Amino acid sequence: MTESDGKREFTPRIVGFLCNWCTYAAADLAGSTKLEVSPSLTVVRVMCSSRVDHNLLLTTFFKGADGILIAGCHPGDCHYGKGNYYTRRRYAVLKKVMEGLGLEPERLQLSWVSASEGNRYADVVNAFSEKIKALGPNPLNRRSDF
Amino acid sequence: MNAKIGVYVCECGPNIGQSIDIPRVLEVIPASEGYGDAEIVAKGFGLLCSGDGKEYLQKEITENGYTHLIVAACSPRDHNSTFMGVCKAAGLNPYLYKIINIREHCGWVIHDKDKATDKAIQYIRAGISRVLYQSELFERQIEITPDVLVIGGGIAGIEAALSLAGPDRKVYLVEKSGKLGGKSARFTSLLPRQGRGAEALREKVEAVRQNENIQVFLETEVEGNIGFLGNFEVVLAGTGNGTKTDLRVGAIVVATGYRLSDPKSFPGYDYTDSDDVYGALEVEEMLSGEGIALRSGKEPASVALIHCVGRKEKGYCSRICCNYMMKIAGHFKKISAGTEVTEFFFDMCLPHKADQQFFDETADLGIDFKRVIEITLSGTSVTYTEIGGGKQEKTFDMVVLAPAMEPCEGTDSIAELLEIDLDERGFFKEAHQTTDAVATSIDGIFLAGASQGPRGISDAMAMAQALAGRIRAQLVPGGKITPEVKVSEILEAYCTGCQTCLEVCGYGAIYYDDQKGISVVNEAVCRGCGNCYGSCPSGALRTKHFTNSQLYREVTEALK
Amino acid sequence: MHHENVVVVGGGIAGMKASLLLAHAGKHVYLVETLPIIGGKTIKNEESFPNLECSTCLVAPIQQEVLQNPNIETMTLSSVAGLEGEKGNFTVTIEKTARYVKIADCIGCGMCYEPCPVTASNEWEENLGERKAIFVPCAGSLPNVPMVDAERCLKLTGKEECAACVEACMFGAVNLEDKDETVQVEAGVVIVATGAGLFDASSLPKLGYGKYPGVYTPFEFERLFASNGPTNGELKLRKTEKEPSKIAIIHCVGRKERGYCSGVCCMYSFKFAHFLKKKLPEACVYNLHSDICVPDKTYQKFFDGVKEKHSEMLYSSSVDEVEVTGKVDGLKVAYNNERDQPGEIDADMVILATAIVPDHNAAGLAEVLGIDCDERGFFRTLDDDVSSVESSREGIYIAGTAEGPKDTQTAVIQAEAAVAKALAFLETCRPQAAEVAANSKG
Repeated sequence: MTESDGKREFTPRIVGFLCNWCTYAAADLAGSTKLEVSPSLTVVRVMCSSRVDHNLLLTTFFKGADGILIAGCHPGDCHYGKGNYYTRRRYAVLKKVMEGLGLEPERLQLSWVSASEGNRYADVVNAFSEKIKALGPNPLNRRSDF
Repeated sequence: MNAKIGVYVCECGPNIGQSIDIPRVLEVIPASEGYGDAEIVAKGFGLLCSGDGKEYLQKEITENGYTHLIVAACSPRDHNSTFMGVCKAAGLNPYLYKIINIREHCGWVIHDKDKATDKAIQYIRAGISRVLYQSELFERQIEITPDVLVIGGGIAGIEAALSLAGPDRKVYLVEKSGKLGGKSARFTSLLPRQGRGAEALREKVEAVRQNENIQVFLETEVEGNIGFLGNFEVVLAGTGNGTKTDLRVGAIVVATGYRLSDPKSFPGYDYTDSDDVYGALEVEEMLSGEGIALRSGKEPASVALIHCVGRKEKGYCSRICCNYMMKIAGHFKKISAGTEVTEFFFDMCLPHKADQQFFDETADLGIDFKRVIEITLSGTSVTYTEIGGGKQEKTFDMVVLAPAMEPCEGTDSIAELLEIDLDERGFFKEAHQTTDAVATSIDGIFLAGASQGPRGISDAMAMAQALAGRIRAQLVPGGKITPEVKVSEILEAYCTGCQTCLEVCGYGAIYYDDQKGISVVNEAVCRGCGNCYGSCPSGALRTKHFTNSQLYREVTEALK
Repeated sequence: MHHENVVVVGGGIAGMKASLLLAHAGKHVYLVETLPIIGGKTIKNEESFPNLECSTCLVAPIQQEVLQNPNIETMTLSSVAGLEGEKGNFTVTIEKTARYVKIADCIGCGMCYEPCPVTASNEWEENLGERKAIFVPCAGSLPNVPMVDAERCLKLTGKEECAACVEACMFGAVNLEDKDETVQVEAGVVIVATGAGLFDASSLPKLGYGKYPGVYTPFEFERLFASNGPTNGELKLRKTEKEPSKIAIIHCVGRKERGYCSGVCCMYSFKFAHFLKKKLPEACVYNLHSDICVPDKTYQKFFDGVKEKHSEMLYSSSVDEVEVTGKVDGLKVAYNNERDQPGEIDADMVILATAIVPDHNAAGLAEVLGIDCDERGFFRTLDDDVSSVESSREGIYIAGTAEGPKDTQTAVIQAEAAVAKALAFLETCRPQAAEVAANSKG
């Protein structure tokens, strides 16, 4: 979907890589408390946010994702000990790379959401959706012939 | 053979049925394109997790000969294992199935029915894409030995050995000195609640010697170790004669204890060996040996006991000192009621339910307490500032110091040998402060007693028993272990041997193969977190059931 | 020959860890819990010291593993009513109170709450929030299955022929005909991990609890702070609904009366200071303390950080000298300082760090099980020793705060020590070639 003459509304397509132990549980809690969460985001479950490698993230952008959210346990809470510290470092590196590729770094967001933070999950997703909506479609969209 | 995928949408009452247009889903899904020659069958059902539902599903799998299964229902956290069980019962490999969350992540959070239905369809299609790339995975069983190596012959190691040894489980107890018992065996008495008294402790030492299922190696250290839970290969070396012993054990207990820090290493403690200033352990030895006497041979008329020596510098409280200082104070008073005993302390740490009572009873013997905010020592002259007061000085005949407990000598090398971590204080690092204090990041290697952090005999024994509980449960004689199935693997062709994955692995699950020049995952140890995958610059890593191929499919569907 | 099953009484962290370890060893466990949910007290905290990690993240996987483990039979709303026999051959009588909702049929959708016409105070939320007559204590409770409060339900008390919840349930899971049940199970050993309670702050009237709405107990504050709590984590005071700006946390409440230090209150009091500053960076927080008890190797650092950044530590010579009084616009906390001279703090909120005391059912349970309590009312173990988990009756072990005040780390250690004793005994008959899951995660 592209914004051409402003008549067709841009609905962002966001991919959310959520860690199984914390954020996925928070997403479930948001569900069981019937909060409203933007359908712009598609959840992809991983066991740990540290699983998310650069290859996966870049391919996701090249395939046209307008935004990517990586979400995991707060630092210190990682089910596997230190996984999320690595996530944080890799995310920082990728942010630097993104500009060089012509992608606004804001399109990638890393958030810590713990299992009891259902409200926060909804807030994070909805706020991110709004942000991406304001940014507009992925500028690399035309290059999605992988 | 072409794939045949069964897609079952659970109505879950009003939860999915009302918030998602299931008939539209069932209509649209089989007509989905982009799955090659795969045949897709889509059906609905009231409540799939019920007894009826599971029975129905099992029958459907067998009768239809599905090669893959999709269940569109609630969260995997609720019922993933339920439907894996159904697959197994129906003869379908449970890793060729996927549960799609169209309840918590669709119906319950997208309140517009059309949009929720669109989303559900997108998720189901993503699931179909993904499941076609999933592979059969099989549980493995690994044989183990139930025997245990205990490093350290002090009270923690002794308690561990006695709690574990049996005709089906041998314990090898290794001690670097020439004697069992550690420091505790030298104490004259124990606190009222510690290990039932010093005599009982000495009986435990004797019990170890007599136990035919415990083999004691004195003057011996651990020289080498490789392996994993259930299968460690250890090499022992005699410190005197250098004899080597090879052992195969299932678990290793690190019970190497502590040492007391040197008070002179802390600012404000200035004395020499000719001053009557003694560390707590020295006083214990005096009490259980020749009795209390100053260097001159006389008995002290006044004694200062100084708590918290090095607490501030080390950054931690050593937990047991307030208690043992009270014990020592009590001994002085019992030896001679007229002795002036003064305790200088910052805080009284009495965390166990019986500690306060012991404190009160001992205090009643006539001990002078001074709560201080600052204290220095010069010879036996104590300069102190009581809380709310000014600086004062008093000289005593004798000064007893309670220095901070620190890790014992050799902690670093043992940590390196066993590939376990140390915390920022130099003690062995537990797997988790709250729920896993006796474990380490390496499965099968446990910690007991002060090797993990300052504590007294009771707590050390409790830890020893706790790890015995874990070992008994995990390593059953004649039994096997079933490691995680969704583990990582390294593709030889792509691996450059950079060892980045090895460095990031929190579980020591990756080792380097010198011959081939590549890294290899030990599937028996891997927990499947995928951190290695995230770190690999060569694309050599695959985490089973969470490969990029599989995740791409979910992503692609979302971006169509 | 003896029974190999184990009865674990109490579904808190100690009981759950013991149950899981026994289940991994292939033993069948009956986990008996009086509340409608498992998780104990730990799940009441948003975050636990010293790492301030999310308690739910830590405990929910444990709860789920317990509920899904085929070797563990969890009996909620149940209590042990009788015990006969001896080590190796116990017959345990368990009374199961009617839940009025069929666990097997309920999917936790929550459609039954809204139509219920009865509102009551939510005890689990420390009476800071409300619930219906059909309810779960809080969002995220496990098992996620409601219960009906038979004393509030219009139908069950005979007040009205109300069937709102029955009609609202699409699965017919609500069953108001449900009856209490008594079952008997056989077990080789019993592990008691029934937890503890908190000292009743109202027994010290000078501290103003119950008199002034701004005075809170520890669990009241935990629930106020919790993002899944009755105020969604908004720190709004009772009655005024305003955010506090000056908070005094009073340590050692009940220490003198009880005769022991509870070992964890300093740490949770510092945690509270941290919580307060996190949400209210402009607030002034005071910890009125005597001895600072930070026994674990990690605790001192936590205290140092809170002292440096979040709270003013004030030495208070005795809780006897502390008095909380009301003013026009808040509270006044009077205390005796380090010079034993009167000091004063203006505050709009006071949190009382109360001593850990035996659970209110402890004496009754001790009698049922035929075990002794110590003079403080906790279950007695041999020699009052934390390493001794044996109760006064052979075959019955005690773990966790049921034995005495302790932190979570020590409670879990004791639970596993109890399992060690249990397994050592249960395996004396014959070795078991059981298959065990070493890494059963994900």
